[in-house]
Amino acid sequence: MTYQPKSYKIESIKNYTPDVKLFKIKSNLNPAPGTFLEVSIPGIGECPLASCSHNKNYIELLTKNAGNVTSAIFNLKKSNTIFIRGPHGHGFPVNELENKNLILIAGGTGIAPITSMINYIEQNKNNFKRIFIYFGFRNEQNILLKEKIKKWEKEFKLHIGLSSDPKNHDYEKGFINEIMEHHKPTTKNTIALLCGPEGMMNATTKELNILGIPNKNIYWSLERRMECAFGSCGRCQIQDLYVCKDGPIFRYDKIKLRLDNENSNQLKK
Amino acid sequence: MQKILPKKDLPKFINNLIKKYELIAPIKTIPTKFQKISNFKEIYLERITQVPAKQHFQPENETLLEFKNNKAIETTGEIKKTILFGLRKCDLNAIQILDKVMYDKQYLIKRKNTILIGLFCENPDEFCFCNSMQLENYHDLFLFPKGSNYIIDVQTSKGKALVKNLPDAKYPTKIPNPKNSKKLKNLNIEKNYKDKLWEKDADKCLSCSACTVYCPTCNCFDIKDNLNLDLKSGKRIRHQASCQLKSFSKVAGGKSYRDSRISRFKHFVYHKISYYKSQHDRPMCVGCGRCLRVCPTKIDWVKTINKLKVKK
Repeated sequence: MTYQPKSYKIESIKNYTPDVKLFKIKSNLNPAPGTFLEVSIPGIGECPLASCSHNKNYIELLTKNAGNVTSAIFNLKKSNTIFIRGPHGHGFPVNELENKNLILIAGGTGIAPITSMINYIEQNKNNFKRIFIYFGFRNEQNILLKEKIKKWEKEFKLHIGLSSDPKNHDYEKGFINEIMEHHKPTTKNTIALLCGPEGMMNATTKELNILGIPNKNIYWSLERRMECAFGSCGRCQIQDLYVCKDGPIFRYDKIKLRLDNENSNQLKK
Repeated sequence: MQKILPKKDLPKFINNLIKKYELIAPIKTIPTKFQKISNFKEIYLERITQVPAKQHFQPENETLLEFKNNKAIETTGEIKKTILFGLRKCDLNAIQILDKVMYDKQYLIKRKNTILIGLFCENPDEFCFCNSMQLENYHDLFLFPKGSNYIIDVQTSKGKALVKNLPDAKYPTKIPNPKNSKKLKNLNIEKNYKDKLWEKDADKCLSCSACTVYCPTCNCFDIKDNLNLDLKSGKRIRHQASCQLKSFSKVAGGKSYRDSRISRFKHFVYHKISYYKSQHDRPMCVGCGRCLRVCPTKIDWVKTINKLKVKK
């Protein structure tokens, strides 16, 4: 395994909100949907970012200005150099998803890995049955990838929920689990793929269970701190599993007990 | 294969090796540790070292990458042919465990260029419990004192080359395990994760991270960039990190996934006994007792595990 990154040029930058931008980078890495890249700026540091596209000619990185490295990435301009190592991790199990109905669920910047999966579905339409998409954002200003969503609305069943935007009449109000109650997806022969804050994934998974989708048909994309990205540094461990090499996509029934165990300590200090 | 070396010839044997190799052995500093020596006289073998040998393979502030002119180049540093001498069975097994979790070039090249010479542990103390930890033979050479001689057990061709001039042992000697008074009675603690007993230990824990610093198998690390004064060139550097600190699991935005002290304390114990075992079929702990010796509040998690109800 190596720490050697390669340098790439930023082709274009798109602003969505004051703290979220999309960087398009020319590259033929073509990361599998759901995998991640170690993105770095020499002198600042490295950070793991999910690949937000599945394309032979470019990579897209949806970046939130949230930490040390991402804030430096945020200041980059068109045609600046960026360093990338990877792709790393296990993505969505695309072979197991064939001939299934899919429910894709994302909250906030969790839309990034889900977008790479939607790209894959678009390229392999005949492999999948019906597709349901649910996105959750805080308010209208926080909606990400608007132009892509517009395109997907024509191809798939897509619902957007705004959790705290009381006056908006163009979108539905509520968390994703509430939106899903009103617009029920198919549940037979169906697999759900989730990415977002763990609280949101928890609530949504409960709703999916009520609708009749068992935990073994639900996949979570998880976030943890990562340094090495190949299972050495120990930073991303959830009990005995490493998010970087065993994940970041986990079948929910395989990770549930471990998350429950770790969360059982939360109330104590 | 076993060879014979008279005890009185050990200094000569080691000093001969020093001429060809960088020799690292236990020395009597405070704390005692493994360090480069230039004469056999410097070696201190009476007790287990306080600091383990892991720093040799994963040194603090190790350079992984160098940046210059908008280029990043991976480096492995200067590599010397090295012998690690005076490793006890626990130290040797700790290296075996590291070999299964460290995959990077920097580690592998140092490992490839190092010969491991073990030494039978004649003086375990009240903290040692290595016999409970499924230790295996993992050495190039291993010295076992017998009468006025050392029996040298040879496991690899790397080791064989160093002892080719010594006479063969006429009959094989079975090397026993060191004597322990302490025992870890139960390695299956998966179902005891939520047991209340852990809270007593966690209440005493200061999250000082000494256990992880002194543990021979704690390899977790942090990667940071250091910029030179020209603000253009610099290095990407590896530091030791500890799961006992809150910042260990902190992600962008400030959330720490092991926020409570008990979650971090249990993570250490469970990683050593249970988590590693689920992936590699043996515990990560080698029973050297260093974490128990160094703990400022004298937490004895081995005792706690022995008190847990056995659940299979």
